[in-house]
Amino acid sequence: MSSVAPEQVVDQTVVNDGSADRESIWAKAVYKLRRDRLGMIGLSVVLLYFIVALGVWLGIWATQWGDVEGPKWAPMSSEYWFGTNIIGQDIFARAIYSTKTAFEVGLVVAVLSTIIGALLGALAGFFSGTWIDEIILWFKGVLDSIPFYLFVAAVAFALSGNPYAMHIAMVSTFWTTTGRLVRGEVIKLKNFEFVEAARAIGVPQVTIIFRHILPNTFHILLVQATIVFVAAIKSEVILSFLGLGVQDGVSWGLMIAESTQEVLAGFFSNFVWASVFLFGLVMAFNMFSDALQDALDPRKVASE
Amino acid sequence: MSSGHTAPLLSVRNLVVEFSTRYGPVRAVDDISFDVYPNETVGIVGESGCGKTVTGLTLLRLIPMPPGRIVQGSIEFDGRDLTKLSEKDLQEMRGSDISMIFQEPMTALNPVFSVGNQMIDVLRRHKNLTRGQARELAINMLDTVGIPAPRKRIDEYPHQMSGGMRQRVMIAMALSCGPKLLIADEPTTALDVTTQAQVMEQIVKLQDEFHMSMILVTHDLGVVAESCDRAIVMYCGNIIETAAIDDLFHKPQHPYTRGLLDSIPRIREERITELPIIRGMVPDLLHLPDGCRFADRCPRATAECRQDKPVVKIDPVTGNGVACYHPMG
Amino acid sequence: MSTLLKVVDLKKYFPVRGGMFHRVVAHVKAVDGVSFELKKGRTLGLVGESGCGKSTLGRAVLRLHEPTSGQIILNGDDLMTLDRQALTAHRRQMQIIFQDPYASLSPRRTIAQTIQEPLDVHKIGTPREREKKVEELLDVVGLRKQVLSRYPHEFSGGQRQRIGIARSLALNPNFIVADEPVSALDVSVQSQVLNLIARLQREHGISFLFISHDLAVIQHVSDDVGVMYLGRLVELASADDLYRQPRHPYTKALMSAIPVPDPNKKSKRIILSGDVPSPMNPPPGCPFHTRCPDAMPRCKEALPPRINVGSEDRPHFVDCHLFAEESAT
Repeated sequence: MSSVAPEQVVDQTVVNDGSADRESIWAKAVYKLRRDRLGMIGLSVVLLYFIVALGVWLGIWATQWGDVEGPKWAPMSSEYWFGTNIIGQDIFARAIYSTKTAFEVGLVVAVLSTIIGALLGALAGFFSGTWIDEIILWFKGVLDSIPFYLFVAAVAFALSGNPYAMHIAMVSTFWTTTGRLVRGEVIKLKNFEFVEAARAIGVPQVTIIFRHILPNTFHILLVQATIVFVAAIKSEVILSFLGLGVQDGVSWGLMIAESTQEVLAGFFSNFVWASVFLFGLVMAFNMFSDALQDALDPRKVASE
Repeated sequence: MSSGHTAPLLSVRNLVVEFSTRYGPVRAVDDISFDVYPNETVGIVGESGCGKTVTGLTLLRLIPMPPGRIVQGSIEFDGRDLTKLSEKDLQEMRGSDISMIFQEPMTALNPVFSVGNQMIDVLRRHKNLTRGQARELAINMLDTVGIPAPRKRIDEYPHQMSGGMRQRVMIAMALSCGPKLLIADEPTTALDVTTQAQVMEQIVKLQDEFHMSMILVTHDLGVVAESCDRAIVMYCGNIIETAAIDDLFHKPQHPYTRGLLDSIPRIREERITELPIIRGMVPDLLHLPDGCRFADRCPRATAECRQDKPVVKIDPVTGNGVACYHPMG
Repeated sequence: MSTLLKVVDLKKYFPVRGGMFHRVVAHVKAVDGVSFELKKGRTLGLVGESGCGKSTLGRAVLRLHEPTSGQIILNGDDLMTLDRQALTAHRRQMQIIFQDPYASLSPRRTIAQTIQEPLDVHKIGTPREREKKVEELLDVVGLRKQVLSRYPHEFSGGQRQRIGIARSLALNPNFIVADEPVSALDVSVQSQVLNLIARLQREHGISFLFISHDLAVIQHVSDDVGVMYLGRLVELASADDLYRQPRHPYTKALMSAIPVPDPNKKSKRIILSGDVPSPMNPPPGCPFHTRCPDAMPRCKEALPPRINVGSEDRPHFVDCHLFAEESAT
């Protein structure tokens, strides 16, 4: 005795948005992220650094980072909060300025390597098994097998003088991890029925990649971008030791590199403060990145 | 069907299982009570979200707690309340007194261990056997469940076997210690129809041999009709009907049961143009209506139905029960 | 009644690579020589168990899987001979509905975008006209237009299936492949969607190739039915004839295996022995002979011929040696 109602009656209401498993991966992620205390602390610290960097970039503060006007090795005082370095520059100003450098390096490298990794990874994954995939994989393999610092040195030498030599070198090697992850995800996604549906409609392949497949890898890309950001900053420190770091301006890496002599003479201020600033950003970003990864992981059991 | 003279093997009373979600608590099982007697097969039927799987898993306390928890209720088995047992006591019981088989044999069996390894593991955990003795017993079990060349197969890995065979291995494992009660959670849903027939036949045969009771959790009314003595119909976490199998299929009392039976495509003498349907959709567990949860979709609903939720009323003569103010038939 | 689609000896083999140099070591013969005709406005049901190749066949007919050989003649044009551009143009006539409502809609696109995409790709009408068409389509499948800006995850399985159906209708195709469209849905929702599909066929005259493992569903929707086993069609007849008098031993076993939701009708089961052979290594001769209760020596040696046990204008094809003898005399 069930009623045979017209279809129209059946679906008058859309399912409640409030239903527990009817949420997008992003909404769920935001919720989980906000409840992750360490992650939120990390994020706040990163934002703080970002504001500092923004101020430097806008010329609001630390403009006198390069001025050689103070006495050499002045102790910490109200005039020079962190003291001065060997040639009399204000360590505090330099440390603040370096925040901008760090973000610059980090963001440029993270964004570019993520874009390149996403594109090449998507192509390799979508055409997996064909020559396109083979070439990209070969390329990736070659880059991965060159020791990073050798490669950077070679690139820096080849582009000597170019202030972006370091960035180019970093982007050329950091894209491979993102590429590998995206390739794996795309291989999985391309067998999903919504991709078949697009082909059945007649959507051209390249459009399928960009419209249907890549947007479903954004959660991977985001996490990878944060990881690369940190890796770039840390690499820059070592590159500065090799003289291949930033050429114009100052960075924490450069400060630390410069301070080796000072430390030998017993003056730690330069070294300590640059390290503290560096450590702070890296640690905070790592905490945020971990929390982000947990929040976006679709398989994590919610222990709420 | 036993009624009243023998004591039930399993007795569930007022069971409530709740899950905490970010939108608030959700009661997957909302105050259910039922019995299972020795040597009988009880089906728990319903669609997705009705709470039947949670019920099956809760009996063995296999629900992760948190986020789930047993808010109230008791599960009496063999004189003990399972809700109050320690994890250690429960583990001793699982596999030897009460066993469970699941829907997906590929994920229920560990892919990196051979079949024999896993069976021997279970056997030695519950019985005092040497490895050799356990292996012989395992080979015997494989033969009993109809796996050809068991002496060879026992060393194979799950991926080397077909779905039907894996399921039979799982049954062999579940029965190897001679449990009194077997809980089967959609055991044949993932299998082909012809394999399903083989496996169900096997299960019923073994049940007879081992004098076991079985709780069969499924959405497939056909399987229930063929293998159960009684069935319980669940909807939105409640039991809405319980009846002997013949009564349930030929004289269903609850409009939902009736609607379900009518709307299942089945092979008919004459083709029909339009299938009867149950209009509307299952309500969201987070936004349950007051009163009867089926009222919105029920052609017989009245104001009374929407106000107070009906409870199961058992007929003392037949033993059948229905939660409805306007039962049919 | 004219023929809309004629498939001749379609084959789809998947290469299996192995060894150190990724060489092709074997082939999975998913579709191994299938021929049939689909008339305008009729539904051909394709039934079989997992691994029989029905889903592959459905996709091969649309050239979503590139067939290894064979002909696919749609409205007079052999799809196999078309180049990419011409094929894309032909796609307007043939569409597909998928099984999995959770994987068949692009998660990061609103349903408006999803349903409109076919119109955009083929540049049909102005943008405003396309929007209107999308609204119409939503109406046809029973959804309100207010939901246009929502994403797939906000809908239930049954609703997503409706969205998929709306998408498949956008280009006004003559022919739709429905690949297990209701298998993943709850029983009470299945009948709703089946009714929708039947109505669409009546009102729009679309021909369907309806793929399913569920014999009851197939009976409900099909005019003609083909039974597949291990990549081949073993029986092909009108639905009435097939269900009243199945001829092929496999069809008979399949029908007897279905659990009937009626406890009194315990069918006499034909239990098949053994497992389905691997499509990588199909047995010689008739693929079914390893499990066939009526196998003869000849079945191992040669592929059975296609015999028409019906009449000229109401054919009933069986691929079986049992009937070859009869017709030979």
